Amino acid sequence: MRGQKNFVNHIRPGFVPSRALSVLYTFCLGGLSFLAFVILGMTGLLLMFHYQPGESTGFSSILTIASVIPYGGVIRNLHYWAGQLMVVTVNLHMLRVVWTHAYKPPKQLNWLVGVALLILILFLDFTGYLLIGSQESGAAATVAVNIVGLIPGVGSGLAQMLFGEPSALSGSTLVVYVWHCVALPMVALLLQLYHFWRIRRDGGVRPL
Amino acid sequence: MPKKSEWTRRAVLRLAWVGIIAASALTIEPLVKYLTSKENRLQSPLVVYNKPLVENSDWQYTAKARVWVKQDSLGVMALVATCTHLGCEVHYYPEKKEWLCPCHASIYDVEGRPLSGPAVKALYRVAVERKPDGALIINSSKHVGMDARL
Repeated sequence: MRGQKNFVNHIRPGFVPSRALSVLYTFCLGGLSFLAFVILGMTGLLLMFHYQPGESTGFSSILTIASVIPYGGVIRNLHYWAGQLMVVTVNLHMLRVVWTHAYKPPKQLNWLVGVALLILILFLDFTGYLLIGSQESGAAATVAVNIVGLIPGVGSGLAQMLFGEPSALSGSTLVVYVWHCVALPMVALLLQLYHFWRIRRDGGVRPL
Repeated sequence: MPKKSEWTRRAVLRLAWVGIIAASALTIEPLVKYLTSKENRLQSPLVVYNKPLVENSDWQYTAKARVWVKQDSLGVMALVATCTHLGCEVHYYPEKKEWLCPCHASIYDVEGRPLSGPAVKALYRVAVERKPDGALIINSSKHVGMDARL
């Protein structure tokens, strides 16, 4: 298994089993999720040049991007729809793994990494929804702060750490912005690289 | 013996690279336009206008923050030419006495009330004050009613 145990060289394995070339086995749902993640990263970086987080500036800067800045509408919509796609594909990916029993040993660790990634992606989706800064996002932020606040002892501190202090009219805060644009994507990317290497490592090679 | 096809796997992949590079080159111009856009909503909401206003004249553009001013028999008023539908800048057509949004064709009458199109709210009127030297200060972030005048 030349090149398959090495973290860098696993991208170019010496050989792949022929069963791994069957598209109908995995439907390439993990690959589609990663493609959506790459699109989200690139368009998200571009949106950061014009987006201003904050109660009063969040929604108005989204409007400016979507309707005034050249090509801003395209970039914003690519980001939005890639996000919607990714939530769908990661859930289907998890269902496929359950259906084909791919969570069983020796892949049990990769299953746990995948579950962690699913939670991260859902939280990325939610923070992105808050950053729109509309009234709906304010209501969503209020609900989220209240739910997290119910955790005994650490609740209010955790809510402050995760969401800052969103108003009822806009969920857009600097805290949510940093989670959405920097912290969560970096953790998700590192876990994904480990996730992909682990597939080869566990002998389940199913490249594109 | 059948003639060997020139479309080898390697040739197809090389062609794919050409396509990827060409597609990337096509995105340069939109990217430059996007990144160099100077639209900034955090600029000061205060607009100073020191040209004389004639009573019952038409809307005058202050050339800043989309603010237009006008004076009628009751006083001075100011309006922000931002469509209340999705925020595009609306254009004033003095010959028709109408405001038209270029994005989704919302039409407003001369007072800024919606006539047709997706917009249902009137164009925002904003607060006007007069400095001691006579110049007008318009606070484009402070909304006022349709019949507010200075």
